[in-house]
Amino acid sequence: MKRRFLNARSPLRLLEKGLHGGLGPGNLGVVIAGHGVGKTSFLVGVAVDELLRDGRVLHVSCSHPVTHVRAHYDVVFEELAQQKHLENVAAIHREIDRHRSIRVYPPNTLTPEKLRDAVKLEAETGGAPTLIVLEGLDLTTQSRGDVEDLRSLARELEAEIWLEATCDHERQVTVPDGVAALDGELSVILALEPGDEAVRLRALKDHDNPNLSDLHVALDPSTLLLVRS
Amino acid sequence: MAELSRLRNIGISAHIDSGKTTLTERILFYTNRIHRIHEVRGKDDVGATMDFMELEKERGITIASAATHAEWAGHQINIIDTPGHVDFTIEVERSLRVLDGAVLVLCGVAGVQSQSMTVDRQMRRYKVPRLAFGNKLDRSGANPQRVTQQLCDKLKHNAVMMQLPIGLESKYEGVIDLVTMKAIYFDGENGEKIRIEEIPDAMQSDAEMARETMLDAVSLFSDELTEAILEERVTEELIHEAVRRGTISQDLTPVFLGSAYKNKGVQPLLDAVTRYLPNPTEVENTGVDLSNDEAPIVLASDPNKPLVALAFKLEDGRYGQLTYLRVYQGRLARGSSIVNSRTKKRHKVGRLGRMHASEMEEIDEALAGDIVAMFGIDCASGDTFTDESIDVAMSSMHVPAPVISLSIKPKDTKAQDNMGKALGRFVREDPTFHAGVDPESGETVISGMGELHLDVYVERMKREYNAEVETGAPQVAYRETISRRAEFHTTHKKQTGGSGQFGQVVGYIEPLEGGAFEFVNEVRGGNIPTEYIPSVEKGFASMMAKGRLIGFPVNGVRVVLQDGKSHSVDSSDNAFQAAGRKAFRETYAKAKPVVLEPVMKLEVESPTEFQGAILKTVMQRRGTVVGTTEEDGFCRLEAEVPLSEMFGYATDLRSCTQGKAEFSMEFARYVRVPQEVQDELKKIHGSKVVDEDED
Repeated sequence: MKRRFLNARSPLRLLEKGLHGGLGPGNLGVVIAGHGVGKTSFLVGVAVDELLRDGRVLHVSCSHPVTHVRAHYDVVFEELAQQKHLENVAAIHREIDRHRSIRVYPPNTLTPEKLRDAVKLEAETGGAPTLIVLEGLDLTTQSRGDVEDLRSLARELEAEIWLEATCDHERQVTVPDGVAALDGELSVILALEPGDEAVRLRALKDHDNPNLSDLHVALDPSTLLLVRS
Repeated sequence: MAELSRLRNIGISAHIDSGKTTLTERILFYTNRIHRIHEVRGKDDVGATMDFMELEKERGITIASAATHAEWAGHQINIIDTPGHVDFTIEVERSLRVLDGAVLVLCGVAGVQSQSMTVDRQMRRYKVPRLAFGNKLDRSGANPQRVTQQLCDKLKHNAVMMQLPIGLESKYEGVIDLVTMKAIYFDGENGEKIRIEEIPDAMQSDAEMARETMLDAVSLFSDELTEAILEERVTEELIHEAVRRGTISQDLTPVFLGSAYKNKGVQPLLDAVTRYLPNPTEVENTGVDLSNDEAPIVLASDPNKPLVALAFKLEDGRYGQLTYLRVYQGRLARGSSIVNSRTKKRHKVGRLGRMHASEMEEIDEALAGDIVAMFGIDCASGDTFTDESIDVAMSSMHVPAPVISLSIKPKDTKAQDNMGKALGRFVREDPTFHAGVDPESGETVISGMGELHLDVYVERMKREYNAEVETGAPQVAYRETISRRAEFHTTHKKQTGGSGQFGQVVGYIEPLEGGAFEFVNEVRGGNIPTEYIPSVEKGFASMMAKGRLIGFPVNGVRVVLQDGKSHSVDSSDNAFQAAGRKAFRETYAKAKPVVLEPVMKLEVESPTEFQGAILKTVMQRRGTVVGTTEEDGFCRLEAEVPLSEMFGYATDLRSCTQGKAEFSMEFARYVRVPQEVQDELKKIHGSKVVDEDED
């Protein structure tokens, strides 16, 4: 399959449709799930889609070493390439490696200033990111000021920033208090809920739309890929 | 020979300059193997005992692993001192292959550095249980807690501190043993007098907390200890047993502290080696049964079983050729007869010895589990010896292919002879070092794992063999491969009087993932007689040695032979070989050949403020940044960079970071070069590709 067809048929297009255009540049989105349900796989899936569409990704991890994060990308890309019979795999893999930057900070050491420094460095040495993934940084533990700063950064860069938050109720995800308190700063809130065969993706907030659509997207726990449901 | 339960085969591995040679020196001193301590780069000009090669003494680094033997608390300890620089990792890997346990030396200031991570990966591969030693606690900025935490975070160890430091930096005095809950001080000129005291009052509560943390971690490995903790009847023996179990199963890394340079903390580390690291019977070693299709076979550390011993290191020393052997099973006695599993040659065992750096102690026999030096037997590194009653080889070691080469030319006739001797020795000593003659230029070419690797051999030629050589520019080991399927329908026909030559081959070539060359025969109906099929394969295979793009070896080609024709009189082995060669020549260009280059995994560590400058050095070299880790004002950059771009990197890095960065590099994989680089390479090397092989 050619890359442009793969992009056109990606389940992420369904997600964008369900979210009335997707997260969109300048906005913050958060995915909420229980421990080990697949938040990182969702974030990597979104990032790989961005890379395949010629975007640049800055993946910031506060929970895994560089090699681990890279391996996650490799697994998702290789699985996707194999399933969709993607043409020119090696060259595309090289290209997305070049357009993705992984930065790792020990838990509780990442500050908005450090993130800004990192973004500046990216812009100077390769190009400013169009998507930033903040993995392992639990949104429920962040101050409102830090989150406001993140939103300003997203707007300055015209980039999307995806974050994650952990909740206790695995099957019926509700917005944790820490996230609810930041409501005004977050444009999209998604929940990942384990079902019988796949992990379902459900919208809890879609910009200012009061009517939440079905997203028809799920995470396949065996392949770690986002799929249509 | 001690009973096996009192034998330890250990290695001391770490990042360069973490102080492992200094530590080994202290161990030899405290075990009465040497009577005076010499520093690695000391003022006494003697150099550390383990760094016995001249070059090592000069550079202050350890190149070859010297094996030595020591005795401590009724235990026999064989110690292999291993090099820290990544260019010599084959030495580290070989040592780990024969070890039962290891001490991972970490700098108390810098903590887990890039080379510690490489070494740790290697230890994991060979399932070597390890203890950690946080060294250099007398240095400014020493922080053993951070070192322990880094062991957990960066290396994913379950590390637990077995001691607490008493003071740090210039006030570093000794350690608190969290098992005995006593303070240990190291008095005397060389720290040889151990003084045990009560824990200083100011540290009592810290020590109690640290002991609790330690007991929490350790009790996971012993139900008895857990019960004892609950019932408040913990004994030292119960703790030792639990730590030992956790260490041997590689689920626990006990951390010890000290400053080898200041003679502190070494003796408790020796106690830990004997207490917690496994004896040879507690480690499972496997070989392959050559008489049973290389089926894996478990070897028993039993002196009464048939002999199996591995030659893991060769050395040319003052006693002639030395072969370091690890006896895995049976016994190796002076005067007995042994067989090399690879060559099937029989040898008589001459002198046997235990090495203490460059001194030797003769012995009559070595039993299963021991590491000894054997004299005067010609073999290669990695060869297995048996007593002929079984046909076993130790599983092959992971040996990476060389990625860089250098042409060398002797300066005079005398150097010419000596160079030959030196190269012969080095090739046998080090499987990653290759030497040969380029048939076109007639020059001698040496190949290895990096610039420094080759530099060291050039220096050794000069110093040890009096062979001074001139070197050419380093040459990267490029490869060629094909990128698409292409069909062939080729006839080789020659009639020059007498019997002619005729062979026709039909089929295709296609890219082969993860292999060098594969030949598939799909000829049905006997159009090519069976006896000529191997001839066609031989013809194709011979073309792999030199590609037609830039003249480097071709990899990753599958040839599928589907049909052909033969002639009852004119077809022959030669004719079909020629047909295969011609078919490849005709098809290669159609299969869109590409050039592959070795890409190195590069790790650079520096203070955070230099990361922009370092990133630029990577970008300028066609590198891909894998990621960056920032911690405590330092950053570690991981990248993949073509080897061809890395010459002179050390100098550039030094100048853009004020000498505050350090890097390590190892081969990662072969990757296709960009088109513009391929065009450039064709301009440089294209002239080497000539049609000299018209059939």
